[in-house]
Amino acid sequence: MKGPPARHEEPQEVYPAVEGIIASAGDLAPGDRVVYPNQGVCRVTGIEKKEIAGQKLELVRMEREEDGAAVLVPKAKVPSVGLRKVASRDQMEGVFHYLAASFDDPELDWKVRHRDNADRLIAGGVLGVAEVVKGLHSLSRIRPLPAKEREQYDNARHLLVHEIAVSLAVPPALAEDYLDYALIPPEGVRFNLKPPPKPVELPLRPRRRITKPAAEEEDDLGLGDLGIDLGPELELGVGAAADGESAAAAAGDEATEGGGEAGAEAQPAHAGEDAEAGGEDEELEPARKPAPAKKPEKAAAAAKKPEKPARKAPEKPAAPAKKAAAEKASARPAAKPAAVAKPKKAPAPVAAKKPAAPAKKKPAEKASPAKKPAAAKGKKK
Amino acid sequence: MIRIVTLDPFDDEDLAFLSKTLYQAFGLGTEHAGSRPLPSEAMDDDGRFDAPKLVAEVEPVKTFADDKVLYLTRAPLSIAPGPLGEPPCWSFAQYGGERAVLSTARFPARGVTEASIDAWRKRLARESIHAVGHLWDLHHCYDARCAMHPPWSPSLGPSPEMELCGFCRDKSERRIRMSKT
Repeated sequence: MKGPPARHEEPQEVYPAVEGIIASAGDLAPGDRVVYPNQGVCRVTGIEKKEIAGQKLELVRMEREEDGAAVLVPKAKVPSVGLRKVASRDQMEGVFHYLAASFDDPELDWKVRHRDNADRLIAGGVLGVAEVVKGLHSLSRIRPLPAKEREQYDNARHLLVHEIAVSLAVPPALAEDYLDYALIPPEGVRFNLKPPPKPVELPLRPRRRITKPAAEEEDDLGLGDLGIDLGPELELGVGAAADGESAAAAAGDEATEGGGEAGAEAQPAHAGEDAEAGGEDEELEPARKPAPAKKPEKAAAAAKKPEKPARKAPEKPAAPAKKAAAEKASARPAAKPAAVAKPKKAPAPVAAKKPAAPAKKKPAEKASPAKKPAAAKGKKK
Repeated sequence: MIRIVTLDPFDDEDLAFLSKTLYQAFGLGTEHAGSRPLPSEAMDDDGRFDAPKLVAEVEPVKTFADDKVLYLTRAPLSIAPGPLGEPPCWSFAQYGGERAVLSTARFPARGVTEASIDAWRKRLARESIHAVGHLWDLHHCYDARCAMHPPWSPSLGPSPEMELCGFCRDKSERRIRMSKT
């Protein structure tokens, strides 16, 4: 059975722009104070050039105010990492009015809650961080938080306290007192609250697996992977290409994810995508070969028409993995004449005999795939 | 090492109890490092002392790296009002820093009975743990049984616990281990 759908099948999520978000590295100047999502308030110290993994990159150097840790962001990555300006005093007042407002019912599904909170911390701006603090605080009134969420709550609180401190120009201890004064007001204290600002809406994510039409589902059962023949009409090249495509997409996903974390590595990862996809394909080849059952027929066919796979190969140059599959396909006939030349002595006669007895064909086909990969492997070695 | 410095006269037994409790809470040696005068520069017009200014202006005591100094006073403290008003100030600490100040002005009366003195000492110990906790990077905790819960919270009983919750204890231990020179 196939697992959950590959990530690339889901619609690509685009975070809405948060107020004060920095759209390009040109907006940054040494001495500016910015908020790096999940890291806190940083001060831009300058722009420097560095060679990383053979690439010359222009990096924005920042210093985390809290502990002086250095943060380097490639210039090209500045718009995508979610850097934003420190909240203004007015914005911060809105945050306090939001915090002091009555509690909403917390989301009870921990998976949804945890994911939403993680999104809010990255893309929700200062109000998003406040939402996480308030949401988890309200949940803690119902039951103690699990360890992971307790950690998340503490991190969110840490980020918020430091941003309040910078925004209002007060020491962090005072910022924390202000924060808890709003969250847990002393007995008898009533605030004259204004309507709080509207939180940033995060993109909706599909909660269920994308369902496919029954026919497509059947194709995706992976029977080919198990060496089960689905019928003579099933095209070998199609299966291989589809698999290759998903592998390439998966590789692409990984590459972009890695890029997100370490901006400097992003470009090399993309550059090496083709090679990776190809390499992955080759590694998986023995297990994936979708219909080795057809090989006897193909072997016979190849003996007759050696150009056929060569024709197929140039038809699919679109995706890099397809290219890999095509390369394989084109490599196969090159190897096959030699590989096929030998089996011709043993299995080819069987294949030649089989058309005469179609009833016996299937068992013979099923038996041959087990031998074939082994034989092929042996030859390869 | 935690050094307690008094800015007003305090009972020796109270200080002994406090030293013992702080040692138990953080696993660090604690001692009474002497007395210092209240800095008059930090006094506001209303007779209260501005807590951040007091911490900045008070006379120092001899310390080594990673030492924490807790100043004790009976004088009421004030802090600058925030967007929603001025929170009640029980103590003030330089977050992740070296100095903290605790005022007993908001404590219930010490009284003369053994029970009331005991309750007062426990409250002193709790708020001291709270202030020193801030010096070790601890934030306020939502758990009302934890010493890091805000002191003005309506969830606190008349004699609140003077211990850290598991999470805060782990975090403080981690910080202490990391910062040991």
